[in-house]
Order: sequence, then structure tokens, then C-alpha cells
Amino acid sequence: MTNYVQTLMGDPLTDDRDQKETFDRYVVPEIEVLYRVARSITRTTTDAEDLVQDTMLRAYRAIGRFDGRHPRAWLLTIMRNAQINRVRRKRPELMRDPDATMARIASENKDNADPEAQVLDQGYDAAIESALNALPEKFRAVIELIDVQALHYQEAADVLGVPIGTIMSRLHRARKRIRKHLEQHGGYINGRPA
Amino acid sequence: MIQRPWYRRKSSPTNCREVGRVLQHYLDNAMGSEWAARVAEHLEACKDCGMEEETYQEIKLALGRQRPAVHDDAVSRLREFGRSLTDG
Repeated sequence: MTNYVQTLMGDPLTDDRDQKETFDRYVVPEIEVLYRVARSITRTTTDAEDLVQDTMLRAYRAIGRFDGRHPRAWLLTIMRNAQINRVRRKRPELMRDPDATMARIASENKDNADPEAQVLDQGYDAAIESALNALPEKFRAVIELIDVQALHYQEAADVLGVPIGTIMSRLHRARKRIRKHLEQHGGYINGRPA
Repeated sequence: MIQRPWYRRKSSPTNCREVGRVLQHYLDNAMGSEWAARVAEHLEACKDCGMEEETYQEIKLALGRQRPAVHDDAVSRLREFGRSLTDG
């Protein structure tokens, strides 16, 4: 009888141990990748660390429902949802008019960066950085995830919550913009000044 | 006639236009080895496409160098946080 009740209720010690094992097996090895991606999304080290903690906490709570397949994709999706909540809390105006707000933020960033001044007398990598910062946010995000953080297309799609085809087309367009920026501002062709 | 997307076609790319269409996937190692071999063969033979590939390869490599160094302290703190979750 006792065994039957334990089966129904679950043995808390066994459950805790399973939870810990699953967490150690699937979540802990991804911590560094999660932190890198969080750096790309938040752009500050403090926010990145908070976001990863939030993601780990959510993952731990949901670990009983995780089927063990594609842990990175699962964690990146959790991170995306956590970030959406964080942004909503920090910038409630995003809920009212997300497009207008994002356009304003992008334009503020662009004004501060002054890409043309930055590329003068700088090397190729500095020119690349300037081109990256000049990209509209939706293009920059894809470049950050694929080219800077070396995620796969599907992983980037999980982070951004868009179809993989959108990732491919944004990536292509973003790289074209970077190339154009380099030609216009730095005069670089094949990594060397023209 | 509806054109299939490149990754659903049976024949691999053989000319500049087709190679241009799949070049980004080639750069990202996001295509099968048979296709990649055909693209590589074309890039070797065609100067214009080869230059195009070189330009984007340089951009991709330079973007990879933009990756900020991960602070070991931050990762250590996060691992510690993970331990605190599982140890209760």
C-alpha cells in the first residue's frame, strides 16, 4: 500500500535527485553559451547575468516537463520569453507601440555611435564594428547570434522567435548592408583598404 | 511554374546565379557536402564568384572576432547559482 501511495505521490527525494541530475546534465553545460547569447541580447554584463539566472530558474522549475531533446533550443526559447518579460517590465511603452519604440531606440543608438567618424583611420575590425552598430536592430540581432556568437540558424530562430527562413533572409540582407557600409565608409574591399 | 527553394532542389548549383543564391549558406556550412563541393569547385574556377566569397568570408571572420571575451567570474557565479538551485 505504501509503495502504491508513493508511486502516486512520487518520492520527493528521488524527484529532487532526478531534477538535479537532469539540470546538471542538460542546463549546466549550456551556461557559457547562454551567457554569450544574453550578452548579445542585453548588451551589458549585469543584465546578461541577470537574464541567465532568470533563464536557469525558469528551466529548473520546468525541468520535469523537459523531454531531454534539444536542450539548447529549449533553453534559448526560455531565455527569449524571459527577456520579453524583462523588457516589458523595464519599458512598459513597448506594450503600447513596440515598432515606434524600437525605431526610437535604434535612432538614439545610431546618433551616439556616429559611424562615419568612428571608421576614420581605423582598421578593418573597427570598421566592421561600426558597420554592425549601424545596422537596424532586427538585422544586428541576427548577425550577433550567427556570426558573432556562432549559433546555428535554428538556434537563432529559437532566440528571436521567428521562422528559420526569416533568419536566413535577414542574415543575407544584414551582410549586404555591412558590405555596403564598409565600401561607403571605410573603402574596404576583401578586408583591405581600397 | 513554382520554383522550389534551393535546399529542396535535387540538382546542385552550377552557374554564377545559382551559386550567388546559395553562397551565404555555403559560408555558414549550412548545406550538404555534395552541394558544398560543387560550390567550392565553381568558386575555384570563377574569379568573380571567388572574390565575392572572399569578401563575405572576410566579413564573417571579422564579425567572429567581435565576440566579447566571456568573463570567467560571471560564468563561475552562474554555475554557483545553478548549484544553489539544485542543492536547495
